[in-house]
Amino acid sequence: MAGIVEARDLEKRYGDVHAVRGVSFAIAGGTCVGLLGPNGAGKTTTMRMLLGLTRPSAGRVEVFGGDIAALGRDFRMRIGLVPQDDNLDPDLSVRENLEVYGRYFGISAATLRERVPKLLAFMQLEERGDAKVMQLSGGMKRRLVIARSLIADPELIVLDEPTTGLDPQARVLIWRRVLDLKRQGKTLLLTTHYMDEAQRLCDRIIVIDAGKVLDEGRPAELIERHVRGHVFELTKPLPEGVVPEELEREDIGDSILVYTADPAALRDRLPAEVEYLHRAANLEDVFLRLTGRRLREG
Amino acid sequence: MSTSTLPLNRYAFAVWRRNVMVWRRIMWASLTTNVCDPLLFLFAFGYGLGAVIDEIAGLTYLAFVLPGMMAYATMFAASFETTISTYARISMQGTWNAILATPVTLTELILGEALWATTKGVVSMLCVLGVGLVWGGIQAPAGALAAIPILALGAFCFACCGLAATAHAKTWDFFAYFFTFWVTPMFVFSGTFFEVTRFPWFVQAVAWLLPMTHLIAVVRPLATGGALVPLAAVGHVAYLVVLTAFAFWLARRRFARRVFD
Repeated sequence: MAGIVEARDLEKRYGDVHAVRGVSFAIAGGTCVGLLGPNGAGKTTTMRMLLGLTRPSAGRVEVFGGDIAALGRDFRMRIGLVPQDDNLDPDLSVRENLEVYGRYFGISAATLRERVPKLLAFMQLEERGDAKVMQLSGGMKRRLVIARSLIADPELIVLDEPTTGLDPQARVLIWRRVLDLKRQGKTLLLTTHYMDEAQRLCDRIIVIDAGKVLDEGRPAELIERHVRGHVFELTKPLPEGVVPEELEREDIGDSILVYTADPAALRDRLPAEVEYLHRAANLEDVFLRLTGRRLREG
Repeated sequence: MSTSTLPLNRYAFAVWRRNVMVWRRIMWASLTTNVCDPLLFLFAFGYGLGAVIDEIAGLTYLAFVLPGMMAYATMFAASFETTISTYARISMQGTWNAILATPVTLTELILGEALWATTKGVVSMLCVLGVGLVWGGIQAPAGALAAIPILALGAFCFACCGLAATAHAKTWDFFAYFFTFWVTPMFVFSGTFFEVTRFPWFVQAVAWLLPMTHLIAVVRPLATGGALVPLAAVGHVAYLVVLTAFAFWLARRRFARRVFD
């Protein structure tokens, strides 16, 4: 399938702040794409522009083959959003939250009666239908927000940090459900700060920082391109000339990271007294290489 | 956002129904205060002031003040709902963010909120009317019932004005100004407790800018069986309609900037 979402040269300025500076990408139907970046990179603003919730200062967004500026409400019928904040109705029960939300999509009462129990079961909330939202744990609220995003059986689901702050059990359940949705042919766009999550769920990754796309590709592709597949963490001080010139390296303070595609060759060259840790490179290495190790405020 | 289709549709009513569902949980507390408020007023003012004032505009004080209280209840409920309550939904509960991610447009969302505040204004007003009918003092019950649609229009007008204010609110403190310079003047200058004509001309001029003054000018003659010049009535209603349209437009424009930019 062709691009479900196409962003072209998206820009967003808030006064003097240039939050997004020319972001372009496409999302193919039936895939899961991860939008990764440090805090303040422009992820949420980019997502809001894709959904027509924030007007771009420049550039255009096409969703389902049409410009969202011209699509009116119709494209919203086909998108489910899981926002970063749990903006559930705290005064309503779990079931009522889904019913109320369903009416915003113009879904009939008969359809809701049939769909709500299925969604509760899908997100393992069937026993909590009558509970007040205020009584739910963080993980349950998150599951309810995901169930809510599915109320109109959307083709595209946008998840903004779906598992932030959850315990491992809750995260695993959400991952399973995201993969189920992908299997059903849904298109997914997600942001996360957990690189293991992105690696596990996403077919493609887009890394953005300071409002720009730094790189994009399949997780394995990015690992290969930026961190060669293997990382050696060598404790300082290092004897001169231990690491071959052609290998890329990065000084991170107490130790030096060396990236290589041929771990055996490097290991053979290291003298016995050099302390090191060898592991497979992962998306976190890519992320830190691309966006730097400087701490971000906000 | 497309606003080409008529916004008074099932999407606006979905917003209205959401607020009804939340209100249902506190319905009895809400209705109790709606009934007890006018009872306390009537007790205090009816006995207190009524004993001092023999007659005002050819009416007993009770007959005079009840239509004003109906208008006041309408105004207060609709204003409160679209300011404090709407602002809580926007800034604390994220309700607006949740809704705007659905097919509901901003115009429909604002309209749904205004319709809900209108409902609350009318419910509050009906409680006063009910108390008045039971207590006695509604001189022209048929006229009072006929005034209900006018009061509903008034509620919608106050709701839109409240939303226009909320669209400009950056913090809770803003609403102190709203109540001091909008709600309280309508309480004291619009003819709720005594005639507007008692004020010097320049106060009267300001009073006639307030929608409440126009609302009372129509509702009081209806509920007391007094003379109502048709042309004047049309003028008062027209003023409410124009102000409503302006406030809605202003609210829509300002919210659009805050939400989408």
